[in-house]
Amino acid sequence: MNRVIAPAMFLFCGASAAFASGGNTPRTFWMPEGASTIAPSIDHVFDMINWVCYFFFALVVIIMFWFMWKYRQRGRIVDAQGPTHNMALELTWTIIPIFIVAAMFFVGFKGFLNIVTPPENSYEIDVVAQKWAWEFKYPNGATSEDLYVPAGQPVKLIMSSRDVLHSLYIKDFRVKQDVIPGRYSYLWFQANEPTLNDDFHWLFCTEYCGFGHSNMNRKVYVLPEDDFAEWVVEQGQWLDKILDEDLYFKAGPKLFVRCVQCHSLDGTPGIGPSWGDHAGQGNIWERTVSGETVFDDGTKLSSLIGPGKAYETPEDYLRTSMLNPGKHLVQGYGNAMAVQALNDRAVDALIGMMKRIDEFDANGKWLKESELVDQEQQ
Amino acid sequence: MSTIDLPHQDDQQGRTPAPVVDNYLTYTRGIKSWIFTLDHKRIGVMYMVSVLVSFLVGGTFAILLRTELLPPGKTIVGADMYNQFFTLHGAIMVFLVIIPSIPAALGNFVLPIMLGAKDVAFPRLNLFSYWLWIAGAICAVVSLLMGGFDTGWTFYTPYSTTTETGGVIAVVTGVFILGFSSIFTGMNFIVTIHKLRPPGMTWFRMPLFLWSIYATAMIQVLATPVLAITLLLLIIERTLNIGVFNPSMGGDPVLFQHFFWFYSHPAVYIMILPAMGIISDVIAVHSHRHIFGYTFIAFSSIAIAVFSFLVWGHHMFTSGQSPLMNTIFSLITFSVSIPSAIKVFNWLATLYKGSISLNTAMLYGLSFIFLFTIGGLTGLHLGTLNTDIHLHDTYFVVAHFHYVMMGSALIAMIAGLHHWWPKMTGRMYSEFWGRIGCLLVFIGFNVTFFTQFMLGSQGMPRRYYDYLPEYQVYHVISTIGSYVMALGFVLTAVYLLASIMFGRRAPANPWGGRSLEWQCTSPPPHDNFKTTPRVGNCYDFSAVVWDEKQQGYVVDRSLDPTLNEPADKA
Repeated sequence: MNRVIAPAMFLFCGASAAFASGGNTPRTFWMPEGASTIAPSIDHVFDMINWVCYFFFALVVIIMFWFMWKYRQRGRIVDAQGPTHNMALELTWTIIPIFIVAAMFFVGFKGFLNIVTPPENSYEIDVVAQKWAWEFKYPNGATSEDLYVPAGQPVKLIMSSRDVLHSLYIKDFRVKQDVIPGRYSYLWFQANEPTLNDDFHWLFCTEYCGFGHSNMNRKVYVLPEDDFAEWVVEQGQWLDKILDEDLYFKAGPKLFVRCVQCHSLDGTPGIGPSWGDHAGQGNIWERTVSGETVFDDGTKLSSLIGPGKAYETPEDYLRTSMLNPGKHLVQGYGNAMAVQALNDRAVDALIGMMKRIDEFDANGKWLKESELVDQEQQ
Repeated sequence: MSTIDLPHQDDQQGRTPAPVVDNYLTYTRGIKSWIFTLDHKRIGVMYMVSVLVSFLVGGTFAILLRTELLPPGKTIVGADMYNQFFTLHGAIMVFLVIIPSIPAALGNFVLPIMLGAKDVAFPRLNLFSYWLWIAGAICAVVSLLMGGFDTGWTFYTPYSTTTETGGVIAVVTGVFILGFSSIFTGMNFIVTIHKLRPPGMTWFRMPLFLWSIYATAMIQVLATPVLAITLLLLIIERTLNIGVFNPSMGGDPVLFQHFFWFYSHPAVYIMILPAMGIISDVIAVHSHRHIFGYTFIAFSSIAIAVFSFLVWGHHMFTSGQSPLMNTIFSLITFSVSIPSAIKVFNWLATLYKGSISLNTAMLYGLSFIFLFTIGGLTGLHLGTLNTDIHLHDTYFVVAHFHYVMMGSALIAMIAGLHHWWPKMTGRMYSEFWGRIGCLLVFIGFNVTFFTQFMLGSQGMPRRYYDYLPEYQVYHVISTIGSYVMALGFVLTAVYLLASIMFGRRAPANPWGGRSLEWQCTSPPPHDNFKTTPRVGNCYDFSAVVWDEKQQGYVVDRSLDPTLNEPADKA
């Protein structure tokens, strides 16, 4: 008895144990590279279902073509006398599929339990999704745009959305979970193989979220445990390490990455007004200082800035526009921008960049890099 | 008054006058006689024309989408436009084409004739439901003028309640109205089947198409109101800012998904059940033999209708629904595969020892078996919990539901259209071009959508305007397939339209069918039958004989033993 069951159990359930110790599985005809500990078991179930499908598809199609040929109409036979029913046969093809799908449910369920049960020692990373960017927050307060995870350790993502539904999907890990505003969802994975030489895994958004949905993909780097520990400390301090006077060109472009989806630098209108020239009112700093910006109620910014008004300085207005973007809407643009989690130094960096916008090219690259190098050489 | 009888014009020129045959198309004339018609056949034809026009529009969007996806990045339109295109493609194909195509268009035409009745139970309600459909379609057009909508056909909140596009409320209102059109049609059919069956037609002597329409109508009546109230809540949230679904106002976005799929999963069976009914009849008639396992097929329709209400959660395995719910829904989902498998095996067994004529309608019927088998089997990957986590919201799902909704439901509609075309128009189309068209559609379809299974399992998410270069090869193949399919449909439209003008006159029974619609003339007279006919077993083909003079089959009622049994037995 056991001799029959044991191999069957291995086929259905034991695959994960068999593969877990090895490295990544290569890309196949059906599946992408498998880079997490649960990937092999999912691929195995997928293959198992495939073989069931191949069998039944071949069965149906071969019988169909065979009958089509063998019983094709010859002459004018209008009343072919075939059997009208056969209870035994019909019960057979009712009952056998029940056992097959029951087995399928069971293996899927067993694998699913692994997917939804994070190990207790998981490394936790907070994830915030918004149109159309991801923010990953590590336990020490460090944040990143791409996801960095330690190799060989279970990682649990605790996710929430600032606006609409999103879904975090890493195909090489075979994990996916919707990210919902107003609640926290989670998923976990463990990647054993570090991604070396700038290699990475893709992270996609798989819940439709509008204009930038298909560009909401980011990279996942799996770092060896020591490298990761070093990276996360470094990442937590990168903004603090920059000298105040270097902020606008060192931190500015890095931070601008999260703005570029909606705000261009060359005057092209996007989801939000360009940081370059907008409607002949000058670039973002010029039109803020002059107060030329027109709001959706027809009033001008100049009515808000100045002593005794809502904002003492242009900088105050820009700061509010980043931290509470829905407060004033520029004419012709909707309330599409998410609240930005920026600390004071980050705000400084971005305002500094706006003030010297001419020093950057259309992609946000600082044009005076060479001068800086010259200075350092002197 | 003149005493002189003028000879008839035709006689003067030496021609004999054509026999005056009552025909629903010529019974009355003028545009008003169509707009205010209560004749189920005319309403069916109006539905068919409207549905096919919508299919042309939805199909055009599909071709634009496939063209856009040829290379990554921008090809012909921007991301905004692309999002509107796939939303329109989905919404048009689901709400304006597939849901009404078989029940409202073909069902309206065929159902009362199959019952030997003069009309449906409530002819005025029937006309009202058609004009509601038109009103719903107009709302969709109005929404385009108001700025369109980019929500996806699923209208997921809070995106749909916050998106900037201006046409959301208009289109949601349209879908709301279309829902009532669907409910009224369903209710009409339920009553008609219950009350207007002719003497001799017991429940288990109904053509299987009627069983499937009956099961469909049950779902339409019971599930559609849920969609209506859901859409109403969405409109209320968007206009009055009352938080039902939007968490920033205290609502729950996952609740919307539950409500939406509580209708929209059964809606999948609103699409596929009547398709299965058509296939049961097409396969039996063109095999010239009794359907195999009538009772199993009939009951499997009812089983599918019942199960359809219990599986909506399988659309939400990654939605944040609890793991326990996921488990239960996965388990129940697998139960739907059983009645579907029963049907496929019964159709195959019907071919056994048949006398199969490979007409265009039959070729579409056999294509259905092929495509539905793939569509059904790939549902197993998606019903299984752990593989679905990987496949959810990828092109694998897109491929799967196109195999079921288009490859099965729509192909069955085309099969039915060819099967009943001679009856509806009184003309025969070219079988040669019909077969070529079917081949093009079949090959094009498989090239388009089978590729998308690989695309999806390799991880390409759906509703993507832009994509990674590694996926391009699949997209190119898929797009080429879609062009081939489009060519097939254009060819089909051409030879069908040509048949109206140049086709040979159709005999009453061109295929050798046994059910009642083949026993009145083609096209049928206004009243279908002068007196309610007595019916026997509609799958007993022993009474069907070939008539050389008519170039068609005739049903010799004296040969059918079931027709001659005493009335009280039936």
